[in-house]
Amino acid sequence: MFGIEKPMPNPTEDTEKYWEATRKGELLIMACGDCGHRYMPPMPICPVCWSESVKWTKASGRGKVYSFIVVHRPQHPAFFPDAPYNVAMIDLEEGPRIHSRIVTEPGQMIDPTLIKVDMPVEVVFEKIDSETTLPMFRPTT
Amino acid sequence: MTFKNSCAIAGIGLSKFGQRPGTSAMGFLLQACKRAVEDSGIDRNLVDGCLIAMPAVMGEQHGWATRVAAHLGITARLASTMDMGGATPIGAIQTAALYINAGMAKAVLVGFGMQNNPQGVPIAMMGSQFAFPYGDIGAITFMAHVARRQMHELGVTSRQYGHIAAAFREHASRNPEAQKRELFSVDDHQKSKWVVEPLRLFDCCLVTDGGGAVLVTSLEVARDLKNKPVVLSGAGQEHGAEMIFPGKPRQRPPGAYAADAAFEMAGVTRKDVDVAYIYDGFTPLVMHSLEAFGFCKRGEAGAFVESGALGLHGELPTNTHGGLLSEGHMYGVGHVAEAVRQIRGTAGERQIKDAEVVFVNGYGGAPHEAPPTCSFATLILTKDQGSLSRGTTS
Repeated sequence: MFGIEKPMPNPTEDTEKYWEATRKGELLIMACGDCGHRYMPPMPICPVCWSESVKWTKASGRGKVYSFIVVHRPQHPAFFPDAPYNVAMIDLEEGPRIHSRIVTEPGQMIDPTLIKVDMPVEVVFEKIDSETTLPMFRPTT
Repeated sequence: MTFKNSCAIAGIGLSKFGQRPGTSAMGFLLQACKRAVEDSGIDRNLVDGCLIAMPAVMGEQHGWATRVAAHLGITARLASTMDMGGATPIGAIQTAALYINAGMAKAVLVGFGMQNNPQGVPIAMMGSQFAFPYGDIGAITFMAHVARRQMHELGVTSRQYGHIAAAFREHASRNPEAQKRELFSVDDHQKSKWVVEPLRLFDCCLVTDGGGAVLVTSLEVARDLKNKPVVLSGAGQEHGAEMIFPGKPRQRPPGAYAADAAFEMAGVTRKDVDVAYIYDGFTPLVMHSLEAFGFCKRGEAGAFVESGALGLHGELPTNTHGGLLSEGHMYGVGHVAEAVRQIRGTAGERQIKDAEVVFVNGYGGAPHEAPPTCSFATLILTKDQGSLSRGTTS
């Protein structure tokens, strides 16, 4: 069988600070130094005003669920053992929308029937290995 | 010189298709191109252009379109590999007309070939490091998010998706070439297994190895060939149209501009459309498109499909060949081929009476990246009204 390793982040100059921060338990997003727009994924120009004065800034880690899906038949064989698993899109309170997963605590997937659109959530960090820590989200009240 | 009514589709050709791991993408392409040329009746020595869709899962293929031309033995004045994902064939038909109008080519083959199992080579998973680690991979997870939002914002139900899938399957049951012809009901759809919740198996298009091609010429050349010309009356495109990512605030849904542009150019309205061919990789994409293209108001597509509107005798007969959901994933060329049959009057028991104005769209893009991007390309195809001057003032 080929390609059974999960596709984990392969940081580049544009993204390495994000992954470095997750290992320290911090969630970063991009901020424009000129117009103040907050965005993800990272890129070297602001998508709104095209300013090049952009930098990483710390996010509060709070947000709400924009969408969630439950993958029963993964497209990539490395995810077969995890199925069914959820993927959620989270609207961070600063504005950016990111992919993640809803958990009860790091490493513990939630019963998907408990996930609702607009549900408030907060970030937690799940260590995958020495290189990779993934931001996950858990429900808040 | 204008685009409107200047060019026509003179020939169509589909290769053999289905689950056919033994044939190469190039093999499908050559067969489809040959059939399109033969269908048109044009002298093959007059074919001088090839616009070919990039084979998405085969990796790097430099000079792909040129190879097609070389294999066909065409002296090509134009050969270009194009990529707008599933919108490529419709977009490339537009490009062909532009080259013809500019005097740079006379008869252009637009085609695609797809082999999903290229010699066992693993599919490279490049993709986005912000989505892939969570297992959000492929067009289907993207469309599942689109479905989730339709359900949340508009009250769309899974049963309504079932109406779309069942209608297209009913059409496919009348298409001897279709990959899937066994009828199913909305209840059967509800029993089909989850693939990516909220999408079930019957919400997803088929996996198809195959190819398709159409021959585009000037209307003048097409009139001297054996079939009734199918006139390119209107065209539009829209790209970078994020469906689930917050981009620039938009007043209208992605795809609306592409449809408006085509209708405006053709000078026809939604009510004038006799048959529609909507790119149906997944049922929620059809739901989205019906509203974005202006066939329904926002929030009304669910009730529209429940009413049987997409059926052969419905308000807007749609995908009379079965679409990607049931005929097979023919990259939109299946849509164009059936649109051409309708206007020629050769669609057999799927024929819509007096079909003269047909809407076709292609959709594609990169759902694998964050943000996911999409391309919409549209055509209004019409019956040749026979007037040389109609709309072609320069």
